[in-house]
Amino acid sequence: MGILEIDKLYKKFGSHEVIRGLDMDIPEHSIFGFVGQNGAGKTTTMKMVLGLLKPDSGTIKVCGERVTYGETRTNHYLGYLPDVPEFYDYMTPMEYLRLCGEITGLPKEKIRKKSEELLSLVGLENHKRKITGFSRGMKQRLGIAQALLNEPRLLICDEPTSALDPIGRKEILDILSAIKGKTTVIFSTHILSDVERICDHVAILNRGQLTLSGSLAEIKMQYRHNGYIIEFAGEKEASEFAGIEALKRPAVEVSRDRAVVTVMISDRNVGGQFLISLLSEKRMVPMKFEIMEPTLESLFTEAVK
Amino acid sequence: MKNYFTFLKKELLESVRTYKMFILLTVFLLLGIMNPLIAKLTPEIVEMAMPAGMDITVAAPTAMDSWLQFYKNVGQIGVFVIVLVLSGMLSAELSKGTLINLLTKGLSRSAVIFAKYTYMILMWTAGYALSYLVTWGYTVFLFPKDNASNVLLSAFFLWVFGVFLLAVLMLGAVLSGNSYGGLLITGGVFVICMLLNMFPAVHKFNPLTLGSDNVALIQNTVKPGAFFPAVGVAGVIVVLAIAGSVMLFRKKQL
Amino acid sequence: MEIFMEYWPFLVPYMVVELVLAITALVHVLRHPHYRFGNKVIWIFVVLLLQIIGPVVYFVFGRGEE
Repeated sequence: MGILEIDKLYKKFGSHEVIRGLDMDIPEHSIFGFVGQNGAGKTTTMKMVLGLLKPDSGTIKVCGERVTYGETRTNHYLGYLPDVPEFYDYMTPMEYLRLCGEITGLPKEKIRKKSEELLSLVGLENHKRKITGFSRGMKQRLGIAQALLNEPRLLICDEPTSALDPIGRKEILDILSAIKGKTTVIFSTHILSDVERICDHVAILNRGQLTLSGSLAEIKMQYRHNGYIIEFAGEKEASEFAGIEALKRPAVEVSRDRAVVTVMISDRNVGGQFLISLLSEKRMVPMKFEIMEPTLESLFTEAVK
Repeated sequence: MKNYFTFLKKELLESVRTYKMFILLTVFLLLGIMNPLIAKLTPEIVEMAMPAGMDITVAAPTAMDSWLQFYKNVGQIGVFVIVLVLSGMLSAELSKGTLINLLTKGLSRSAVIFAKYTYMILMWTAGYALSYLVTWGYTVFLFPKDNASNVLLSAFFLWVFGVFLLAVLMLGAVLSGNSYGGLLITGGVFVICMLLNMFPAVHKFNPLTLGSDNVALIQNTVKPGAFFPAVGVAGVIVVLAIAGSVMLFRKKQL
Repeated sequence: MEIFMEYWPFLVPYMVVELVLAITALVHVLRHPHYRFGNKVIWIFVVLLLQIIGPVVYFVFGRGEE
C-alpha cells in the first residue's frame, strides 16, 4: 500500500480542466520526483492532497485515510513546504517553530528539542534574529524545518529549488537526501537534473494526467533497449556498416556522424544481438559498442509529446 | 480550543511587534486626555476668537461637555482608527500566504476567525477602557461638583457599538478577502445605519443609537431601557456575522 | 502662558504621549528604510508634522516589509 494514493482525480478551474483523471501511488520511503511543465497542475494536485482545494471528483488517500476538503485530520501525516514559504516576519525561527509545534499539538519539551535539532539540520541554528531579512534560500530551509516538525510520514515540497541560486539549490537537495531514510518525500519540479540527483521514483505529469511513472531505474531500463552507439576506426568503415541492407527495415533507424553510427530499434524483439551478429558477419570490429542510456530529458520530451 | 489560544497569543505578539497595539493605545490615551481638555478650553477659545469689544457670555463648561467630547471623539475618531488599524489583519495573511502553512498543520479555520475576533475585541476594550478612565479621572478632577448619571452604563453602550462594528469588519474581510473590501463593507453598514436613523420607528432598534444617544442618557433625558432593543439587535447581528464568517471561511479556497 | 499654567495637568501628559508617538514613528522610519510607498524624507515630515494622524498613517499604511 502506498503512502499516498490518488485515484481518478479531476479538477477544473472555470472551464479549464487542470487535472483530468490523475492516478498516482507513492510507495513509502521513496523520494519521489513529480515532474511537469509550468502549469501542468503540480501545485493544484498538491493543494488537493493537503485539503486546501476541493477536487471535482476522485479520491485521495494519505496513509490509507481519505482526505476531505476543509478538514485537516490527514494533515497530521503530512509536512508541506510551499513554493515560496511565507512566515511571520516579526518572529525568530525558534518562535515560529514553537508556534507550529503548538498548533500541531506537540508537548512543549519536545517542540524545543525538535526545533533545535531541525534548525541545525537546515543550518539555521545560529540565527537568533527575526525572520525579516532572511534570503530566499534561508526561508526555504526554514520551510523544510517547519514541515518536518511533526515528524511527517510524507513531506510534500512544491518546487523547492526553482527560485534559488545554485548554492541554495544544492543545500536544499542535500537536506532532502539527508532525510530520505526517515520520511517519504515528494517534490515537484521542472528541473530534471534535480530529479536525477536525488530521486528514486519519478512521475511525469502532462495535461492533467501521469504519462510516465515508476522507479527511476525501472523506467530507464524499460526505455534502454532501443538505442545503440557504434563507433568505428574510420569513416569508411562506418558508412559501410550504415549502408548494410539488413538495416534497411521499418523498425530500424540508422544515422551516422563521421565514424559514429547510431542505431535506434523500435522493434522490441530485435536487440543488440542482431547488431553484433551483423558486425561479425561483415567481419567488422568496432572501437566502441555502447547501449544508449536514456536521459531523463529524452524521456520527458517523449512523455509530454 | 488549544489552537484558539495559541493563535490568539500569536495575534497579540503580532500586535505588539508590528506596533499596532502601541498605536491603538496611544491614540485612545490621547483621545482620553483631549476630551475634558477641549470641554474646559472651549469657552476660552470662543472668547479669543471673538472680535474685541463683542461681549458674549459663554456658559461655563460642565462634566456634560466633557462626556459630550468623549462620545464625539471616541465614537468617531476612536472607532475609525481601530477599524482602520485592524482592517488588514485577515487579508494580509491571505495575500502573503502565512496562514496556509498553519492550516496545513491542523489549525482549524474556525479557530482563526474566533481568535482574530477575540483579538479585535480585546484591542477595542483595552483602548476604550483607557480612554474612558482618563476622561473620567480628569472630569471628576475638573468638574467635581457636577453630577452625571449612568456614566458607566452609557459607556457600555458605545462599547457594544464597537463590538458590533468589528463583527461587521470581520465578515467584510472574509467576504472580500482584501482589506479595502472589509473597510468598504464596514463603512457601508455605518452609512446604512445612519440612513435608517431617518425613520423614527427604526431608531430604537438601530445599533447606531448605542453610539449617538449616550449623552442624553447621562443627562437623564433618556432612560436606559431605550437602548435595550438596539443592544439586542447588535447582539444578534454580531452572532450572525461571526457565524457567517466561520462558515464562509471554511468554504474559502485558499 | 497663563493658560499653560492653568492646564498643565492636561497639556504635559498630552504632549508627552504625542511626542512618544512621533518619536517612535520617527525612529522606525529611520531604521527601516523600506516603505510601501513614499520615501524617507516624506515620511519624516508626515510623522513629525501631522500630529497623531501622521504616525498612525505611517504604521498602518507606510511601514514596509522590514
